[in-house]
Amino acid sequence: MTERVAITGIGVVTPIGIGIADFAAALRAGCSGARRITAFDCEGFDTQIAAEVDDKRFDAGSYVEPRKMVKHMSRSATFAVAAGALARRESRLRPGDVDPYRVAVSLGAGGMGPVDLDLLAAQGLAAIASSRGRDSDELDIPAFAREFRARTNPISMLRGLPNLAAAHLAIQQDARGPNNTITTACSAGTQAIGEGLRAIQRGDADVVLAGGTDAMINPVGVLGFSMLGTLSQRNDDPRHASRPFDAGRDGFVIGEGAAILVLEREAVAKARGATVLAELAGYGCTCDAYRITDERPDAEAAVRAIRLCLEDAGASATNIDYINAHGTGTQMNDVTETTAVKTAFNGCGVPPMSSTKSMIGHLLAAAGAVELAATVIGMMHNFLPPTINFEMPDPACDVDCVPNVARCARMGAALSNSFGFGGQNACLMVRRW
Amino acid sequence: MSHGSPMVASGDLAEAVRGIIAEVLMVSPADVQLDTSLVGLGAESIDFLDLIFRIEEVVGKKVPVSGWETFINKRLPGADLSRAITLAIVVEFAEQERSRR
Repeated sequence: MTERVAITGIGVVTPIGIGIADFAAALRAGCSGARRITAFDCEGFDTQIAAEVDDKRFDAGSYVEPRKMVKHMSRSATFAVAAGALARRESRLRPGDVDPYRVAVSLGAGGMGPVDLDLLAAQGLAAIASSRGRDSDELDIPAFAREFRARTNPISMLRGLPNLAAAHLAIQQDARGPNNTITTACSAGTQAIGEGLRAIQRGDADVVLAGGTDAMINPVGVLGFSMLGTLSQRNDDPRHASRPFDAGRDGFVIGEGAAILVLEREAVAKARGATVLAELAGYGCTCDAYRITDERPDAEAAVRAIRLCLEDAGASATNIDYINAHGTGTQMNDVTETTAVKTAFNGCGVPPMSSTKSMIGHLLAAAGAVELAATVIGMMHNFLPPTINFEMPDPACDVDCVPNVARCARMGAALSNSFGFGGQNACLMVRRW
Repeated sequence: MSHGSPMVASGDLAEAVRGIIAEVLMVSPADVQLDTSLVGLGAESIDFLDLIFRIEEVVGKKVPVSGWETFINKRLPGADLSRAITLAIVVEFAEQERSRR
């Protein structure tokens, strides 16, 4: 039998709490992190709400050594590094406990660091404006290059690279093993944790700092998702805007943050007497290979990901006591996900399935990681996190979504689902240790 | 990102450079003395790119990175750069760049 993989630490930076104690309390209380956007002037935007990490409570520099490293980090990198520091503290894994070359990083992250994308876009536009010939709309490339060089600090280019969040996490935690970044959009965090599990199973690492991070609450990010028609426009009532499985849902609320989990080979965790929070028991992933933003209506590939995950854990559907849904609150996702779980659990009934996105919003590349964290926290503290804002049932989403109020329950095993634009489906299973 | 006017008076140049280094390395200006090693304060190669970019604003002209490299090679041949690059050295470079035609 394969050696088990333990989760020995969790660190989170979320719109409803930083660190697992705050996060757990907010999940149990059913708090919403959505509000009117404060990151920029959103007047005139179709969507003017988001679930932001409160900068009054988040001081990136306090997690970073030396402090100037913050300057080289995108906002998403600061979230990853902070979550990593919190997870490491929680795990009580000390520098001498494990060879640094046996500590890997597996991180779900967005593409370009969005704040820096804004910066570059602004500088690029300025350069274009000042280089454009008076009588022509043609762009003068040599003039553009001159302007761009004069206006752009070279370090802003480096901040935007998608792999840099994982690199910063490794620098801060002296993680010298394999260092991978997964950019599969909304399923990135889940896949990063699954691939972290695999890295331990195939012998590449003894400890993996695995999770996801994202920060897309900026003009480009909000406009982009808004133009795709995926965001809620319930601007006058932000706290009730994210309403997965409810008949009145009108899209997701964009969120930001990170979660990092310390995954650890069983023998290593035991040898140092670690406290194990849960077992990371299984992982399955597939791709729809169908359309870019439409899901297969029969959810066949999503069903397969769930079944592969159960099989990987040596479990059956009847073992599962709770599912943390992808549950975005878009019309399509919630219907297709309902179809997927009903098919995958055919014959034994779908267990309670809630969407914590109702509280924290959709954290995109961080979503799966934060949601697995929420699942493990529920398992540790014997409650199922609720789906808040559930008022009117949708017959096409007839699952027990743990409406509005957290439920006391003992979970033996649970799943967490993620489905990304592009058709990537991923599922993780955790089990009581 | 304003670091003062390009027309910094001669005696103020050292103060302006000290302020820039403090910003770049996110330390207090009091921590940057004339003989303080920048690498000792945590500077790595990317921070020198940042530093040179910001010095352009003080000296009021384009400062090529290659100019910095040439200056260091001539000024500090064979030196242990982790110790030898100090505020005083950067001020010297800024003065050179300001007087360059």
